[in-house]
Amino acid sequence: MTRYLLKRLFWMVPLLIGISLISFFIMHLAPGDITTTEAGFNPKASEESRQKLRKLYHLDEPILVQYGYWLKRMATLDFGTSFASHQRPVFWERRDAQGNVQKGLIQEALPVTLLINVLSLVLIFVVALPLGVIAALHQNGPPDRIITLFVFVGFAIPGFWLALMLMYWLGVVHGWLPISGLHSLDHDKLGGLAQLVDTARHLVLPVFISALGGLAGISLFVKNGMLDVLRQDYITTARAKGLPEKTVVYRHALRNALLPLITLLGLSIPGLIGGSVIAESLFAIPGMGKLFYDAVLMRDFPVIMGILTIGAVLTLIGNLLADIAYAWADPRVRRGVVH
Amino acid sequence: MRHIFGLGVLVVLLAACERNPLPPSTDLEASYPVESGGTLIDAMAGEPSGLIPMIAGESAASAIASRIFNTLLRYDRNLELEGELAQSWSISRDQRTITFTLKPGLKWEDGAPLTSADVLFTWELVTDDRTRTPYASDYKLVTKAEAPDARTFRVTYAQPYAPALDSWASLQILPKHILQGQDINTTTFARKPIGSHYYRLEEWKTGERISLVRNPNATQGPPRIDRLISRFIPDPASQFLELMADNIDIMNLNPIQYARIIPARPEMKRNIALYKELGNGYTYLGFNLKRVPFDDVRVRQAINYAIDKQELIDGVLLGLGEPVAAPYKPGTRWVNPELEPYPYDPRKARLLLKAAGFEDHDDDGILDRAGKPLRFEIITNQNKQREMSAVLIQRRLKDIGIEVHIRVLEWASFLGRYIKTGDFDAVILGWGLSLDPDQYNIWHSSQTKPGQFNFIGYHNPMVDKLLEQGRLEMDPDKRMKIYHTFSRLLLEDSPVVYLYAGYGLPAIHKRVRGIDSPAPPAGIGWNAQDWYLPSPLRRTEISAQ
Repeated sequence: MTRYLLKRLFWMVPLLIGISLISFFIMHLAPGDITTTEAGFNPKASEESRQKLRKLYHLDEPILVQYGYWLKRMATLDFGTSFASHQRPVFWERRDAQGNVQKGLIQEALPVTLLINVLSLVLIFVVALPLGVIAALHQNGPPDRIITLFVFVGFAIPGFWLALMLMYWLGVVHGWLPISGLHSLDHDKLGGLAQLVDTARHLVLPVFISALGGLAGISLFVKNGMLDVLRQDYITTARAKGLPEKTVVYRHALRNALLPLITLLGLSIPGLIGGSVIAESLFAIPGMGKLFYDAVLMRDFPVIMGILTIGAVLTLIGNLLADIAYAWADPRVRRGVVH
Repeated sequence: MRHIFGLGVLVVLLAACERNPLPPSTDLEASYPVESGGTLIDAMAGEPSGLIPMIAGESAASAIASRIFNTLLRYDRNLELEGELAQSWSISRDQRTITFTLKPGLKWEDGAPLTSADVLFTWELVTDDRTRTPYASDYKLVTKAEAPDARTFRVTYAQPYAPALDSWASLQILPKHILQGQDINTTTFARKPIGSHYYRLEEWKTGERISLVRNPNATQGPPRIDRLISRFIPDPASQFLELMADNIDIMNLNPIQYARIIPARPEMKRNIALYKELGNGYTYLGFNLKRVPFDDVRVRQAINYAIDKQELIDGVLLGLGEPVAAPYKPGTRWVNPELEPYPYDPRKARLLLKAAGFEDHDDDGILDRAGKPLRFEIITNQNKQREMSAVLIQRRLKDIGIEVHIRVLEWASFLGRYIKTGDFDAVILGWGLSLDPDQYNIWHSSQTKPGQFNFIGYHNPMVDKLLEQGRLEMDPDKRMKIYHTFSRLLLEDSPVVYLYAGYGLPAIHKRVRGIDSPAPPAGIGWNAQDWYLPSPLRRTEISAQ
């Protein structure tokens, strides 16, 4: 097992280099760079000063050389500093000689996005699991039809439209929920519990909107898994032993039906750090989606590369974790039994 | 698990009803005495990257920084220059030296004296090659800058440079005693600035808001409103919802919100006052003059006659804009009052095209010359108003037999791939209406290299000469004459078709008083320091602090 792990970890290195190389080249294929976007069309900004900036950022050198600089920095885990944003560090905070701390861009954006995505993932699983089980138990019956209809409407409805409608209805008409942002203006003056409630109220809509689209996939996945398992011989055996239906469904069937979900969970780990640009813009949430989107529009290469690299690492780790978890959960995989 | 979650949602929802709008009985139309205090909340689409304006290029940064830092000069309500930090300024007889005298007793917000040494320091910073600023060029023309005493700052140019005064109205003065010895590119001063203007930074919550409070040492005297909060809300629809829910006091509307949505909602009409100010830019259709057939002035004029500007203003801006005939802000002295935009006259357009040799020889509805149909592509960036304008122009030009294709591009690609390389037929874009009349960078024939701003390739020796003269002439009246002639030549040459100058459309809650209406040329914001919030109209939750 340890050797297997080490081997997997070792192979991640060339994969990462390959991914970063391709990302780096594709990024530079897009026309323009930071000097065309930042004050690029202000007649007060002269071409000479833009050339000067290009030189400072090494943008005038061949792409391969630029990639070399980047790789050299990455070798020491230095994600560099943003071209825009007053050269703020891309990833983590930095302390200067005077002891002033400059926070990293990803450092500030990541917790918010993680919080929303983890909450919405939890919400998806908490809602989709029972929905899937109910749909499987009543296959083609009214509950199944209603659940399928509901999750597909949720899947198909444009998130930004629903978000705006809910913001209007809950925020403007009734004033039940805040419209945008993460905290109220007087957040700092509230007590501990009130602060928690305040943040929670701000999170309700973003989490709901980002969870809604994911319900369909997971609940159908659970439903199909359950249907497969319910047809197995050991379920018939369990029923034949006279076990109560509840035990059959939840202890024998559901547990086995959940196995593929582990893979799904592993695959959703990299997704946790990616935010939705539209949702973040609508709800004015300073998350990763907005950070990445703005960086692409600004051609802020260090930030783009930083986010892509972290995404790639997390994807590879997610895959690895999914495989390990699978081995842990399924004895057949662990013992090398082919199935 | 599910029960706990459901309970949680319920608690959250129940804890909700704490919104605190003004009681319906409040009289928003009554007059209230002038008083100080209160908090004003506005919304910004973007977040500043930092608050050192010479380094942060974006408009969000300058909007906030201009409340924190002073400039030597500023524009008054009629867009004439007046002193801000400077008490007076004088120009030497050879017109090459400008001497500024600072007002007495100026202070930074931390109490340190603000002197000409700070001004000199700022000039040194902006012209330093290590400073990552795109704005150095105006200041690099200064051959000698000196601060002979604490209240005198003197700059000398190699030759007279008329836009110099305007450049000293945009350079925000930074404190030497704090920034000396620091790397301006990375200093944390960008996130906790020390300034001298009406407000100082109170708190910056990344991604959420910036709040400013009154600066007790403000060089221009105290403002009336205590605290300004700018919330970062990228999406205009969300901003509008926040305005509806009375969570923000100010936002800039688009024409649909201004002309359709608010008038249709009595509760918004009751709370919100709408203003209209001259916009800061104009939209134009520019031709690539290096390409056939745009090298022919008759073709350019024909297209100008064939485009109905009023139709564009009515259709795209819902009437909230005006046509322009010169690249200057309407109502300022630089606009030549004798000039009129090209009227909509398709007959004249056809005659001009015929004179240029374009006729429909093969009866396919498209004019042609020497077997080549009159067909071109308009490119523009992702901007709804520009896209809509392109479609209306496409239709009008089809009427006179010109086939137009439209391509909409992402901004960085648009600039990097098409504008910079000059690879386009025609373009719909906008220029800001600068307050100084010098537009050398945009129209002079020496400015056509890749990356420079005369990317349409305009070349007229007479215009070149006028632009050069205008830069050397310090006397405003003589300058005015030069630029009036320049505008006339430009209009006759028609290298661009001026489409419209849209209005700025701020919506402000009626609790904000002291606003100059109708808006003066400088816009309503020029006296924001005199705006006030009568205490009965303030938000209770915040004034309770």
